[in-house]
Amino acid sequence: MEKILLSICVFVCVAAFSGTAYAQERTIEGTVTDHLGDPLPGTTVFIKEQPNKGTSTNPDGNYSIEVEEGDILIFSFVGFISKEVEVTDQLTIDVQLQMDTGQLEEIVVVGYSSKKKVDLTGAIETVEMEPITTGTSGNIMQTLQGRVPGLYVEKSGTPSGASSRILIRGVNTLGNNDPLYIIDGVPTKRPEVFQSLSPSTIESIQVLKDAASASVYGSRASNGVIIVTTKDGSRAGGGLDIQLNVSNSVQSERPQRFDMLNAQQRGEALWRASVNDGVSPASGYGEIYTFDWNNDFNNPVLNGVSVNPFVGGNTNVPAGDTDWQEESYDLGQVRNLDFTVSGGNESSSALISVGYVKNTGMLKYTNYDRISARVNAQTRKFDGRLEIGMNSIFSNSNELLQSPDLGSAPTPGLAITLAPTIPVFTNNGEYAGPLGSGYSDRNNPVHMQYINRWDNTNRKNVVGDVYAQIELIPELRLKSTVGVDYSTYRFKNIEQAFTEGFISRSLNTLGLFTNEFMSISWSNTVNYQITTGNNSFQFLAGIEAIQDNFDELIATAENFATQSEEFFVLSAASGTKQSLGTSTSSRLLSQFGKVDYNYDDRYLASLTLRRDGSSRFGDDNRYGFFPSATFGWRINNESFMEEMDEISNLKLRIAAGRVGNQDIGDFASLGLFEARYGPTAANIPGVGSNGFFDQYYNIGTAYDLNGSDSGSLPSGFVSTQGANPALKWENTDELNIGIDFGLLEERVVGSFDYFFRETSDILIRPPVASAVGEGQLRFLNGATKENKGWELSLGYDGGRDKDFTYYVSTSLSRFKDKITKLPEEVRTAFPGNAIKDILGQSELSVFGYRTDGLFQNQAEVDDHASQVGAAPGRIKYVDLNGDGQIDALDQEFIGTTLPGLEYNLNIQLGYKNFDARIFGSGIAGRTGFDPYRFYNNFIRGRDNVGPGVFDAWTPENTDTSIPALTLADSNNETRPSDYLLVNTSYFKIRNVEIGYTLPEDVMSRLGGINRFRVFLKGENLIWFKSSEFNGPDPERVDINQIPVPTTFTVGASISL
Amino acid sequence: MRTNNKHIVILALLLTVTVVGCEDFLSVEPRGTLSTEGITTPENVDGLVTAAYAGIGNDEMIGPITSMWVYGSVRSDDAYKGGGGVTDVADINFYEQYNLTQPQQGAGWMHPLTWKNYYKAISRANFAIRSLENLTEDEFPLKTTRIAEMRFLRGHSHFMLKMLFKKIPYIHEDYTNNEILEVSNVEYTNDELWDIIAEDFQFALDNLPPTQPEVGRANQYTAAAYLAKVRLYQAYEQNDQHEVVNINQQKLNEVIDLTQMVIGSMEYSLQPDFAENYLYGFDNGVESIFAIQFSIDDGTSLGRISTVTGLNYPHGAPQYGCCGFHQPSENMVNAFRTDTDGLPLFNTFNDQSVEDYDIDSVPVDPRLDHTVGIDGHPYKYQNDILYSNSWARDPGVYGFFSSMKEQQAADSPGFKKEGPFIGTSVNIDIIRYADVLLMQAEAYIETGQHQLAQPLINEVRNRAAASTGRTQLADGSDPSNYVISEYNSSNSVWTEEFARQALRWERRLEFAMEGPRFFDLVRWGIAEETLNAYLADESLRRSFLNNAEFTAGRDEYYPIPQQEIDFTKGLYQQNPNY
Repeated sequence: MEKILLSICVFVCVAAFSGTAYAQERTIEGTVTDHLGDPLPGTTVFIKEQPNKGTSTNPDGNYSIEVEEGDILIFSFVGFISKEVEVTDQLTIDVQLQMDTGQLEEIVVVGYSSKKKVDLTGAIETVEMEPITTGTSGNIMQTLQGRVPGLYVEKSGTPSGASSRILIRGVNTLGNNDPLYIIDGVPTKRPEVFQSLSPSTIESIQVLKDAASASVYGSRASNGVIIVTTKDGSRAGGGLDIQLNVSNSVQSERPQRFDMLNAQQRGEALWRASVNDGVSPASGYGEIYTFDWNNDFNNPVLNGVSVNPFVGGNTNVPAGDTDWQEESYDLGQVRNLDFTVSGGNESSSALISVGYVKNTGMLKYTNYDRISARVNAQTRKFDGRLEIGMNSIFSNSNELLQSPDLGSAPTPGLAITLAPTIPVFTNNGEYAGPLGSGYSDRNNPVHMQYINRWDNTNRKNVVGDVYAQIELIPELRLKSTVGVDYSTYRFKNIEQAFTEGFISRSLNTLGLFTNEFMSISWSNTVNYQITTGNNSFQFLAGIEAIQDNFDELIATAENFATQSEEFFVLSAASGTKQSLGTSTSSRLLSQFGKVDYNYDDRYLASLTLRRDGSSRFGDDNRYGFFPSATFGWRINNESFMEEMDEISNLKLRIAAGRVGNQDIGDFASLGLFEARYGPTAANIPGVGSNGFFDQYYNIGTAYDLNGSDSGSLPSGFVSTQGANPALKWENTDELNIGIDFGLLEERVVGSFDYFFRETSDILIRPPVASAVGEGQLRFLNGATKENKGWELSLGYDGGRDKDFTYYVSTSLSRFKDKITKLPEEVRTAFPGNAIKDILGQSELSVFGYRTDGLFQNQAEVDDHASQVGAAPGRIKYVDLNGDGQIDALDQEFIGTTLPGLEYNLNIQLGYKNFDARIFGSGIAGRTGFDPYRFYNNFIRGRDNVGPGVFDAWTPENTDTSIPALTLADSNNETRPSDYLLVNTSYFKIRNVEIGYTLPEDVMSRLGGINRFRVFLKGENLIWFKSSEFNGPDPERVDINQIPVPTTFTVGASISL
Repeated sequence: MRTNNKHIVILALLLTVTVVGCEDFLSVEPRGTLSTEGITTPENVDGLVTAAYAGIGNDEMIGPITSMWVYGSVRSDDAYKGGGGVTDVADINFYEQYNLTQPQQGAGWMHPLTWKNYYKAISRANFAIRSLENLTEDEFPLKTTRIAEMRFLRGHSHFMLKMLFKKIPYIHEDYTNNEILEVSNVEYTNDELWDIIAEDFQFALDNLPPTQPEVGRANQYTAAAYLAKVRLYQAYEQNDQHEVVNINQQKLNEVIDLTQMVIGSMEYSLQPDFAENYLYGFDNGVESIFAIQFSIDDGTSLGRISTVTGLNYPHGAPQYGCCGFHQPSENMVNAFRTDTDGLPLFNTFNDQSVEDYDIDSVPVDPRLDHTVGIDGHPYKYQNDILYSNSWARDPGVYGFFSSMKEQQAADSPGFKKEGPFIGTSVNIDIIRYADVLLMQAEAYIETGQHQLAQPLINEVRNRAAASTGRTQLADGSDPSNYVISEYNSSNSVWTEEFARQALRWERRLEFAMEGPRFFDLVRWGIAEETLNAYLADESLRRSFLNNAEFTAGRDEYYPIPQQEIDFTKGLYQQNPNY
């Protein structure tokens, strides 16, 4: 850490003092204005031949600079088209810059180099940053949801934004589908690094969607690449820029809650279900309820149900009428603060930024806080021919998320399902729990959150690089970059001893789960540009070496005399202590080269080659080769287009390329044996059969041969992995065809991309027949997948140059994958049956039965195919294969959990000093599980359910889709079927924001303030969903996750 | 400018020099693991043997290979699944209802995982054998003994698989992984498969010493007892529909000889008190012939405890908590009733529901209070903590009785509660001496020497009669009315038919809730008649059994797990009628 601080110091110092003065001839002055004629402060003004000799305009848009006659002055400001003016004999040069609305001249980072956006030939998306910088969750990944065509984001409401995932163009492989992130040049596959960035510090995000664009990143780019560039001091344009953003949000999950029964209602439903089953309700639930009924199963009449006064007959525990969701959640608050100082002069600049996010969590006792800091600095010497710089990001976060109960059921689910008759507290003020018969073995969720309140997950990330770039001869640049991606993880898990109802934990434990990840990358590149006549070439060559190390240490201790937060340290335990650890490493060595060619700004072409060697493969298959070629035609620059003024931009792009994948274990090709003294399957990933039961599954090699019952045991070795020396790279080939267009002076802009990709030799670890024995699974190059789709985006910029401005944009994207080849013996690991398999289907397909309403009478049952459990009031399953019986063969593919179409709508309005934004996005063609149907349409003996059960089928109430209540479910109605797997499409108004920027006259009176904007923002406000989906929010498909909240934010942004 | 150029050239040279690719960079060795060569050394090979022993104890609640409470007890007339209603671990409910043909069975737990876990154990034994065979006696003097132990373990796992699935692939140590995938489950006839399994035990019998310094290892008598068990099952020859078509006298004579070897050795005997087979502190006692060893406070996180019956503790009791599985059936409780002479009520035992008589006062076999938790009776021999009906989890479905044998009292040093479930360090006996006595008795009866069986059965009954010291209430009185006597000429006529009935009854009472029941019924060829008769009466008492029906020719064995058939591309043949 000290070293980092030291290097920060060095660079700041270098940045501050390395400016050099030069002799001058005379002074020229002027004012720079924008397209509306308003002054444009902060515009960079410099002499073309001496880029280090420059200045920037003051708050009034004025500048002065020493020049010689014949110099060419360049005026540039982000978002405007730069202008060059030759100095003659004037004393004053006033300039009006035109807005660069199409951003055609924008420079885009495309991988070890950059390019003008207008020259791009692949499918590269530049994310519009402005709406994102004021996000409330503080999680950049969540804010991107729905904004970028081809980028699909799923999220949850956990305070840290965990459990979100990002997919570029859907799923391409059968394993890890995470994209590669390049953060200021440092590669990482860890989404948490990206998520830890403070949105307001990001200068730009580029998404390399197609293989040709990504292939320069080679082996790790098969799921696309997200390039993030953070802000540096160069925007300060020579001055000092101070930026402060603050916001405060309130979050509520109330609109996402499930409507559940109260204590009394649940008794009525249980009575009906028991009576339907021909079972006395008192036999199952007599300890919870007193049922007053006529005891006639043929003609049952309920006079009343009363909740027995005490839980389990314990007079200390009066029965409750608990709304567990109300008890488990509070309003959440999110506070965001960002403070940035940047500055510089002609040759050096630096930026320092500090950010803080605090989320108090809606689910009680959850919380998240993150402090992050960034230092970016660079300095140039020798007329700018040597540049040295650094980028660094540090973040430290603490989080406490939803906790599992003793049976590992997470609290968000318990808040829905726990019986309402259990009170939160006993008369003694202790937490109450299930007691007596009739209850499940689940815990009180408020209690579980409470006793886990000292748990903490701490993550520290340091991502950064130091680079030097030399311009050896004009336009020949050598660059060497050393990058670091370092993180530590520390999960402190305190399991307190407690008693709650009939459930208890007698021995308290402390577990510390720590790991450290260190990735060092070193890349060296040469860039050369040459233009001869109409031919322009750009060359890139480079090598890169990456070394990853991962070390894990787990320590646990039992039996602490006192249960206080401070006492839970390992040494304080008096019981068994245990430590476990692993260590692993991998390396990559790569060479790459790229040639870009531009003929007369009309024809563009590029060729990329990359060769990667990975330590994960055997000697014979170590290297992978990843080529790509692209072609672009800027049609609007052709002479025949000159007359067509309405077309301001038209470009055709064709790109083909290959990328690779090596996401397997570090030593996947080797046969391995381990000493496993006494772990359970829960300690070693991939060994067990069920997450929860694994902790009770011995898999060790130690055995009490001496029969001594305790003490140290003899132990041995076991096979953990079969060898496959032939293991090799997985490859993805992709063809991308796109068109970009701009009409009416770029008022209308758009692009369309079509892609087709095939991933072959997919790395899978297929299950084998058990007779082969323990630890014999191995990685193979097995499957092949296809993925195709398209993206369309359109924008219209209206009302330019007026008080009222507006901008409307929309995008649509579609991707669809299917498995085309899969080894036969592996297919049972995927959805399907004996006659229909996953081939030709998406990996994320759902498979199940078709239903056809309810049986209304015995005659319908008799007429129907033979169905085990069929009866009047029961769900009728369709005999798809017509063989007269309902069995496993009557299933088919119902849909996929990935949407068929994703779309968004973005509206930006401006009126004088007011601005407003509305952003909505949606998905269509997604099939998924409706958890509320599961709890609302079926009674469950141990869980609470929704009021839908009162509309269940009875001989009198036949006009319903809810089957007759039963606790036995002999018809197996929760099997996968289109009854529970429904259309989960939706459209959400994700953001509505109104902002007000203080007028200049007010600001000038405040003095020194360049810009002051306040805003009000609402998120997740209104949504529209398919009528098939009964739950409140189609984004909530897993009841064990905290729901995505509705949020209101007020904030301000100040520039000095 | 010239100076600048010089600096830049020097810097560029520096950069170029340092940019050197190196092939060695990509060689990374794994850490904390060993290659095959590293572990098959004389120093490490005993570790492979130990690991193979550990393998026969490595099971899980949802894929048991040690306790047969699911497969042998719940699936028979002894017990119900228990727990929270029929959908709680629905996989077991399907077994209890003999309904394994409906699609979407539960969560895919239990028998498919059990299959997998036995083959894991087999692969450990085979790997040890392969490694041992590569060493000389000089390098590793215990070579032959250890190979014999490993073949014993391999025989054990194959035997258990055969009881469950009948047709199984037998995996030999010489097979490569690819060859294993070519081994069918019908490579051998039923009888040949028994012989192949028997060969492993025969090898063990021929090569193991009479005693071993470590009690957990197999010895000569262990092998003899296990071989007797194999031959006993083999003697009841089944056709493809699982009907017993012949009882092989020669095999039964082998059973008599082998059991006699154990009995005559004088190394083993019955524990003085039946309770000691189910209590902490008596592991590897005189009655234990072969047991899976468990331990606690042994440096592993939980201890190498057995949690396979961890769901089975009483639900409502504060010191236990969860989850009330494996509840005795009324039929089984009734089977403990005796007449005033102290003999079982062979014909009338099940005429009354337990609700219609006073279980505290009717004459019963004392083993009832070792086996079943009954309201007001000491639970697990603790006369200060009596079992209460309020401890029952779902009495409306499964009644009030609770299982006891596989459990330990909460204050036992071998008791460990972890999460909602409970484990114990008490061993699980695979063969105990009582079984050897009754196996010999059975062989005598089926070879026409039923007179010789009577003293063997009586030895077991006399021990039961003497086992009332630990079941008493605090005031020294018995919670039940114990009336038990041996068979003698004054209370019965010992015909072959009567002897057979007495033997089968004795096995049920002696091993109640321990798991052999279902396998006994299948061996004797009476599963269908016994279980459907049981269901006819029991379903009147327990409505959840209304639709249960045992189908002969199918339900005697589990289906071969479908995924195993798929993984071998249909090489394995499914059992009939699945």
